[in-house]
Amino acid sequence: MKLKPFILVTTPLILAGVGAATGVSVHERRMSGLPQLGYVSCIHCHQRGLDTLPWAKPRPHHDAPGGIAVSPDGKTLFIALDDRDEVAEADLASFTVSRRTKVPGGPFGLALDAVGKRLFVACRNHDRVAVLDTLDLKEQASIDVGIRPTDIAYCKTAEGERLIVPNSGSDDISVLSVSPLLELTRSAAGREPYAVAVSGDGRRVCIANRMAVHDQILSQPYSEVTVIDPASGHILAREALQSAHLAEGITDVPTRGWTLNSVVRVSNLVPITQVKDGWVMSSGVAIARGNGEVTQVPLDEANAYFPDPSGVVASPDGKRAYVASAGSDVVTVIDLDKLAAWLAQADEAERGGAMVNMALSYRYVVARIPTGCDPQHLALSPDGSRLFVAERLEDRVLVVDTASLKPVGRIVLGDGGLDDPIRLGERVFTRARYTFQGQFSCRSCHPDGHVDGLSYDFDGAGVGDNLLANRSLCGVAGTEPFKWNGKNPTLQYQDGPRFARVLMRTDEIPQPQLDQLATYIKHLPPTRTIPWSRVGQPLTPAEERGRKLFFATKRTDGTPIPRALQCQTCHRPPLYTDRLLTSVGTKGSQDTSGVFDTPHLIGVGAMAPYLHDGRAKTLEEIWTIYQTDDKHGVSSYWSKLQLNDLVEYLKTL
Amino acid sequence: MKTQPSSPFAALFGLVFVLSHAPGMNASAALPETAPLPIPVVARFENFTEKDGLPAHKIHCVLKAGDGRLWLGTTNGLCVRQDNGTFRRFGIEDGLSHLTVLGIAEDPATGDLWIATMQGLSRLSGGKFTAFTQTNSGLPNNVVYGVAVAEGTVWAATAAGTGAYDIKTKAWKPYDQTNTVMNEPWCYGIAPGRGVIYLGIWAGGIVEHDPRLGTFKAYRDPDGEFHIALTADSGPIVDVTSGVAYDAGVLWQASYFGLARYDTQEATWRTWVQDKTPLVSNFINSVFAHGRIAWASTDQGVSVTNGDTWVNYQVGKDGKGVVHICRPGQPPETRTMATALSDGFVMAVWADDHEAWFATSNGLSHGLFSSPADQAALTSNP
Repeated sequence: MKLKPFILVTTPLILAGVGAATGVSVHERRMSGLPQLGYVSCIHCHQRGLDTLPWAKPRPHHDAPGGIAVSPDGKTLFIALDDRDEVAEADLASFTVSRRTKVPGGPFGLALDAVGKRLFVACRNHDRVAVLDTLDLKEQASIDVGIRPTDIAYCKTAEGERLIVPNSGSDDISVLSVSPLLELTRSAAGREPYAVAVSGDGRRVCIANRMAVHDQILSQPYSEVTVIDPASGHILAREALQSAHLAEGITDVPTRGWTLNSVVRVSNLVPITQVKDGWVMSSGVAIARGNGEVTQVPLDEANAYFPDPSGVVASPDGKRAYVASAGSDVVTVIDLDKLAAWLAQADEAERGGAMVNMALSYRYVVARIPTGCDPQHLALSPDGSRLFVAERLEDRVLVVDTASLKPVGRIVLGDGGLDDPIRLGERVFTRARYTFQGQFSCRSCHPDGHVDGLSYDFDGAGVGDNLLANRSLCGVAGTEPFKWNGKNPTLQYQDGPRFARVLMRTDEIPQPQLDQLATYIKHLPPTRTIPWSRVGQPLTPAEERGRKLFFATKRTDGTPIPRALQCQTCHRPPLYTDRLLTSVGTKGSQDTSGVFDTPHLIGVGAMAPYLHDGRAKTLEEIWTIYQTDDKHGVSSYWSKLQLNDLVEYLKTL
Repeated sequence: MKTQPSSPFAALFGLVFVLSHAPGMNASAALPETAPLPIPVVARFENFTEKDGLPAHKIHCVLKAGDGRLWLGTTNGLCVRQDNGTFRRFGIEDGLSHLTVLGIAEDPATGDLWIATMQGLSRLSGGKFTAFTQTNSGLPNNVVYGVAVAEGTVWAATAAGTGAYDIKTKAWKPYDQTNTVMNEPWCYGIAPGRGVIYLGIWAGGIVEHDPRLGTFKAYRDPDGEFHIALTADSGPIVDVTSGVAYDAGVLWQASYFGLARYDTQEATWRTWVQDKTPLVSNFINSVFAHGRIAWASTDQGVSVTNGDTWVNYQVGKDGKGVVHICRPGQPPETRTMATALSDGFVMAVWADDHEAWFATSNGLSHGLFSSPADQAALTSNP
């Protein structure tokens, strides 16, 4: 008797539940186009709006020093504070900040004119160069340049004053005249032009390109040094730093005619299990001696590594070079006479193999100066007596006496942000201490959280033929699961014990630091791929046509496109991923599986190379070369014009 | 190879040629005194062939860059004449996208060269080639017949439309028969005009594009006849366009059936065919403009004209150079030269006020202009 009411109540509920579950399952399989799809939660596909993601929310700002510039009289240091939208002026007698001024747009690169009256500021967030009068620190003029300018150099030429600006986001170089402030040329650079150095005679400007490129999927990568005539803006040469990436520092050695680049020599085409051998990533300096030959020499020693070399400066007398190692919190001091002596006696084979010779650096490294966290930019006083080190994650500038090589003071800009978990996570991200012998940091492959343009052999079958493309961490919040096989449900899992064992070859990152690291990564915003002036602007006609193609449900002739093969199905807005595993016909001969995690597309225009192993160098190649039987979306009906439109649209995401 | 029939005008030239070379005769002795020639005259040719280090006998195009270096597009790669006079070749092994180079343009802002090839567009910058193809970029098609750079945009005339590459934004805009007034996609020539771009369409006349306004205007043969010009001076000579050139307000159309000129200021057309005018041949491979003067490269030599006065360069049967000068209202003058074009089949010309370079099917020729005194001598009877 008592069962009847129970059955009467529960049966409809059970049936409703089964029906709902069946309906959900049918819905999920139909909408995903994956007939074998198991259960996934509603929010797996129905994502939250972008404004709910960590990177879209307000976060604390810090007084992180970017570029620094010393006045010609040696009395003043100017410091770019990109996270504050400010430029600070420090008195070098008292090592105190004397003034600050607002410079909107993420001031990052600084340069002074010859007499120190004008300060030129590259603002990487707003794609502009601002001109400040150093008397009152007021902005006098501004000009738009390419995307994300990261540095700036001033020089005088026979044709007038020039500013050279590497635009890291648009892969080009702006050459500006100063009076009037005009962009004379914008030349193609390598990939991610980052830092700039003027030769002593002002006739050559060298630009370091941070990201590596490779001609073919299994070919050695290289970073380009772009050489430009500042007077005409013409490209003079494009020199290749073989097997190098993260080349983000460059300086001229005036008395020697040398150019020095900080570089990481990467061995991405062999299994990364070779970490123990110490040459997966070798940190060093590339020396271009003006004779067309470039020699890379290590900063590392056996069992002691100095990863992520960043800023580099040379003393005015050409006797010394200083290199900031951001991953090990050290400035390395190089005796250039000793280095020249070694170069003079070394044969070609020795020079060619120098970078992986762990017993070499003692010949020319004369000191290691400990610094605060994440030293990046360096500057010397005009007489070379003082070295200034921007300790980016300490919010300080270290002042070093170059005679004694001892610190003599610090310019304090902020408190270091130690109460900010995002900042703490950035410290974990940039420090190499969590890898075997401190050989590399997260930043070594993910500069600014982005990609390094490389594909790596992650211990798969064979040697150098089972690559996986590096993926950007910018904008990954909410796109879990991670990894190309989609096996890592969280960032903590991704960067957890297995990662430590396989990749870092050491103990895992302690849980508090791991949580901080995940917090930092979640707050990395997507990479901006359109000029700042276009942010919030409507799509161009071509982009709009591309958008319609992306969301097309029918071919041009009206034939329906199967749901599984519509772009929007797998690359579902707002993150442009359904976070599911899909096969798009790209299984390689060494791949154990043909299904891969659907990558998100926000900032995809800056994420080359493409597909899981980086085989596609451009977005076009995904469909023109590597599309098989319309498996990666139905593209066979596209005209070339339509493909161009689609690519233009994708570059706006 | 298409050959042109002889014409009464050519016969007249031939007669003068014969007379001028008869023993004891001097053709110019019979010429009346005239005003100085308004176009430069080549006094002497220097020739270069494979024996001199050229990588091929056939030279498709020639460009003297802003830094003074001479660049050649050949059937065997790109070639530069070095300071010591020797030639250096660049091929696929250097990064060039294809051996057959059909066009070269310089970006005056950056000094970069853009190279049209049979399999993609190459950029030579700082000694390094970068290939833009239909598969790795927005280039409409790999067969690139011509290239030009204007105001920060690279224009590539291809077998499937024209591609416009914005050097700043890196965006490609393709133009073909689906989004312009082009009647077909084959673009053979391209020439930047004043604020506009002229596209030479294989069988579609000329399309004028204003990039700022996004407008297109077609100039078509008014009579629509393929082989003949029924209505002279009223539009393009025919729709078949093998090349276009523009300078100083004048647009020139090269065709395999004659030459046409459009004065953009006066909005007037003039046309020339071999049978009725001094044009040395109807079969024009390309046309180059410098100032208001055109250099038409034909299968039988070069015609240089400002529209009124003509100077033609041919290769005589004895291998010597033959110069025909035709002034308005005067009988033609014919002279022989000790030197001649490397070959009468001329593919392209580059010229300025001081010299001219001729890309031919059998080598390269350098035309050294007459000095002012020589020019004066040409204007008066001895």
